[in-house]
Amino acid sequence: MSAKVDTSIMKDLKHFGLKDAHKCFHCGNCTAVCPLSTPENPFPRRFVRYIQLGQKDKILHAPEPWLCYYCGDCSTNCPRGADPGEAMMVTRRYLTSLYDWTGFSRKFYTSEKFEIIAILAVAILVGLGMLLFNTGNPNWEHAHLNSVWPSHAIELADLGMAAILSFLLLTNVFRCFRFIMGDLAFKIPVKIYASKLKELIVHTLTQKKFGKCTDRMQWFVHLMIMTGYASVFLMVVVFINGLTIENLKFQRDVIYPLWHPWRLVGYYSTFAIMYGTTYAIIGRLKKSKAPYKNSHPTDWMFLILLQLTTLTGIFVHITRLVDWPLPTYGLYIVHMMVAVPMLVLEVPFAKWAHLAYRPLVLYLLKVKEAYLQEQPVGAEEVSAEVASAEAVASE
Amino acid sequence: MEKKIAVYICSGCGIGDALDIEKLSEVATSEYKVPVCKTHANLCSQEGAKLIQDDIASEGVNSIVVAACSPRVMYDVFNFEGCVLDRVNLREQVVWSQKPNDEDTQMMAEDYLRMGIVKTTKMELPEPYQPDQEMSRDVLVVGGGWTGLNAALEAAEAGRSVVLVEKEAQLGGFQKKVKQKVTFPYKEMKANDIDELIEKVKQNKNITVYTGAKIEKLAGGPCVFNASIKQNGATNEHHIGAVVLAAGWRPYDPNKLDKKLGFGASPNVITNVMFEEMVQAGPIARPSDGQPVKNAAFLQCAGQRDPKHLGYCSTICCVTALKQAIQVKQENPEANVFVLYKEMRTPGQAEDFYRKAQEEGVLFLRCQDPEVLTNGAGLGVKAHDELLGEEVILEDLDLVVLATGMVPETSFGKDFKELVKKEGEEEASDVPVDTVIVSDILNLEYRQGPELPGLRYGFPDSHFICFPYESRRTGIYAAGCVRRAMGTASAAEDGAGAAMKAIQCTELTMKGAAVHPRAGDMTYPEFFMQRCTQCKRCTEECPFGAINEDEKGNPLPQPTRCRRCGVCMGACPERIISFKNYSVGMIGDMIKAIEVPDEYEEKPRIVVLACENDAYPALDMAGLRRMSYNAWVRVVPLRCLGSMNLVWIADSLSKGIDGILLLGCQHGDNYQCHFIKGSELAEIRLSKVKETLDRLVLESERVTFETISITDYHKLPALLDEFAETLEGVGPNPYKGY
Repeated sequence: MSAKVDTSIMKDLKHFGLKDAHKCFHCGNCTAVCPLSTPENPFPRRFVRYIQLGQKDKILHAPEPWLCYYCGDCSTNCPRGADPGEAMMVTRRYLTSLYDWTGFSRKFYTSEKFEIIAILAVAILVGLGMLLFNTGNPNWEHAHLNSVWPSHAIELADLGMAAILSFLLLTNVFRCFRFIMGDLAFKIPVKIYASKLKELIVHTLTQKKFGKCTDRMQWFVHLMIMTGYASVFLMVVVFINGLTIENLKFQRDVIYPLWHPWRLVGYYSTFAIMYGTTYAIIGRLKKSKAPYKNSHPTDWMFLILLQLTTLTGIFVHITRLVDWPLPTYGLYIVHMMVAVPMLVLEVPFAKWAHLAYRPLVLYLLKVKEAYLQEQPVGAEEVSAEVASAEAVASE
Repeated sequence: MEKKIAVYICSGCGIGDALDIEKLSEVATSEYKVPVCKTHANLCSQEGAKLIQDDIASEGVNSIVVAACSPRVMYDVFNFEGCVLDRVNLREQVVWSQKPNDEDTQMMAEDYLRMGIVKTTKMELPEPYQPDQEMSRDVLVVGGGWTGLNAALEAAEAGRSVVLVEKEAQLGGFQKKVKQKVTFPYKEMKANDIDELIEKVKQNKNITVYTGAKIEKLAGGPCVFNASIKQNGATNEHHIGAVVLAAGWRPYDPNKLDKKLGFGASPNVITNVMFEEMVQAGPIARPSDGQPVKNAAFLQCAGQRDPKHLGYCSTICCVTALKQAIQVKQENPEANVFVLYKEMRTPGQAEDFYRKAQEEGVLFLRCQDPEVLTNGAGLGVKAHDELLGEEVILEDLDLVVLATGMVPETSFGKDFKELVKKEGEEEASDVPVDTVIVSDILNLEYRQGPELPGLRYGFPDSHFICFPYESRRTGIYAAGCVRRAMGTASAAEDGAGAAMKAIQCTELTMKGAAVHPRAGDMTYPEFFMQRCTQCKRCTEECPFGAINEDEKGNPLPQPTRCRRCGVCMGACPERIISFKNYSVGMIGDMIKAIEVPDEYEEKPRIVVLACENDAYPALDMAGLRRMSYNAWVRVVPLRCLGSMNLVWIADSLSKGIDGILLLGCQHGDNYQCHFIKGSELAEIRLSKVKETLDRLVLESERVTFETISITDYHKLPALLDEFAETLEGVGPNPYKGY
């Protein structure tokens, strides 16, 4: 079947940050230098071609964009300055918007104004909500957050937010799953899906693939942000009320001793996120390496929100330590006004969605691989798959 | 001239260590009674050269044999005006390639000295050829397009009178149709500046311009051409020194293209030339209804690099398509413009222009075999995009532009062979005849046809490797798109280059000297007409068409057209053609000077007739690298293997020489022969001698032809030794001792 060439896609992708893909003359140096590209799943050259010819369908069903961690080797080695790494990044943004059925994501990526207004709106809602809904009887002697917003109430709000978040993210994840697996989605036995779950966990925790990139600093920085963020997320969402166990409550008014795991984990996360985001912000400001050369507004928004959340969190911690009630309560509201929009908007609709898509796609590839290995040779799908893999490998 | 011969033997560079110089001197003094024979330890030093000069001055020496190094080195030192000179190559081809102080090595050196002395005895001082007519230095430029204008202007500015002939009513050629052009530095398009060039040519007092004119007849040769130029019914005569052929090109006929390219099926499928005309005439619009162009596709290599149409690349279509694509983009920046190419060919700085097209948003698809879809309402293109590995479809196209190629003007016309063929008369000729297409451009009065012979695709290229502009007709130099497809930048350079070659040719011819590849050679072939049998072999075989013939078939040599290869000398069965320093008798005597030991000594002798352009230098290089080979060979350098006369084979065999090896250049399509057909002709002649050998009960293995190029020197020792082994198997020549 012949595919139609659609030049509108390339114009559309300019909103997603595409700049130099037209300069590519397809020498393939990028694919050759990429430490992650494999004969079965080659990239990034092929994706630059998909973009140039507007092959939306091909992009939609491709797992490769999620296999790229944007170390920037391809862009550094590109003889034409076509920035293939950025093309892959743009593809991921585009995919995030395609997976999202609400259309929010697309708005987020294509309109900076919309993004800012959305975040402000959610922030104001959160602020207003916190001012409206509280115990009405704050402790002005000591900085006791539970006296204003008890942890069990916050836990409820958390659960509500998590439910919405999960719904949005999981529906999008499901769409991603359908696009990637195609006809195989429900043909593969659950047994195989289950057998490969370990991969999903290992990849999520270690991102060991990223470690294969030449520039291991990027992997390290990413790992810092990810572990910091994940542990904080666990503490503020799962353990905010300590699953009702007093000594596991994250939000409690008695300050934990220094050796308490929450304080240690909290300090680690704070350091890790601050280190990671500061490194990335400075890098992006200085355009110090290929992945930092081009920054889409959503990239900035992501870093700024994350760093602001952390900073306000640090301030709340300090005011609590010095026991200043009013600044504590005020800063807590600000902290929430930053953190909530970040979680609600960025995670399902923007850059943070990759935390779900990337491990999922890696996992699905393993599942597919295991399934195909089990198939007797000669089965129609297999031969078709193999043929397409060979066609790709031979390019 | 009363000859006084002197022999000088150098003992430097290891010659003295490997040979018995005293014994060698005796060959000269005792055998040949040479009056002066001296040895020197370093003959090429100032002192050594002075030794010779003193003898010339005081002893009246005028014929010199220098037995030292190869004639390919130290030629500036051993250069004595007014003296006949031969160089005996004792260094590269004797002591550096043979066992030192060996009896056989000594015999080899002695034979070479004998051959040198005999050759010197036979050689005469050349007398430069001076024609009876007055000689002209004027340059005739054929074609008033971009190349011709440049050639005319360059020649005029070098001080020559120029006659410029253009068949159209106005000057400018194809470039007159072009609005913008792309040339150095290939960053942007430029306004076409041909009008300035035309103005300069018209203003130049040295240039006589004929427009709407044609050459009715071009007779003679370099410096003595007579051109009859017809304009408005009147004929003007000019004496011409040399000619620049810049007849240009025509676009390939798009109606001949493969139907799948859609030409003719839709008015919106046009050629690159038609697009050029559209740009000059007005806005870029859809031909069917004049609507603006929103989607355009450029299909490269339409009928090019395709054996069914044009087998070659026209080199300019890629840059032209880039230009035209950008023109579409500039008229409508929102337009989608696609370029479908086999390979994008933007050499050198033109790559920058390709980048510019990318910047402008032109999309490139690599595809070997696109199909234009003209069925249904819209125009489309189906293409297998190799960069994607899949078939893609371009829809809603307003314009499809096919890149048709350049066809040289010289390729239009009938084959001269067919025209002159008389019914039932033609017997199969052994000699391959050049393809001369009667394209009505030069109308030469040459026995071999009225135009330049073509090589492939109708280009009048001579295939003189590394020698541009040369054609197979001396004094006529091809330039611009008639020589090979090219853009304006190369064509301007071509025009200048060919003009310089034309000037160089007249300068050499005025002195009576040969042009390339024997530039400066003052000899020329002389015909002893009393013995001519009108066999026409010389007129047929001359690779340069230098010999006309009269009605009776007598050759009418035109020495200014001659390149001095000696092919005629080799062809002549009556051996009536000779040069002052190169003749059938001279080479025959050299062969006869070789001492052939009787068969009981078991020292066979092999005569190697070696082309002095490739094979002889290759032998030198083998020596330089101290590669050794058998001591039986005796090398005789020839101007070209095509000058090999069969009588030398007979001379050798009757003398008792065991084998003859001919070393010539590669021939056929990728020939390497400096004189185009020399080695091929030699091989054809050889095929005839083999029958004779069989009849004489002499084994045909005794005479062998091998092709060798200068870079094949490392193969030579094995080649020579294998031939010696073959001869050993065949046994000694029974004619030894007679």
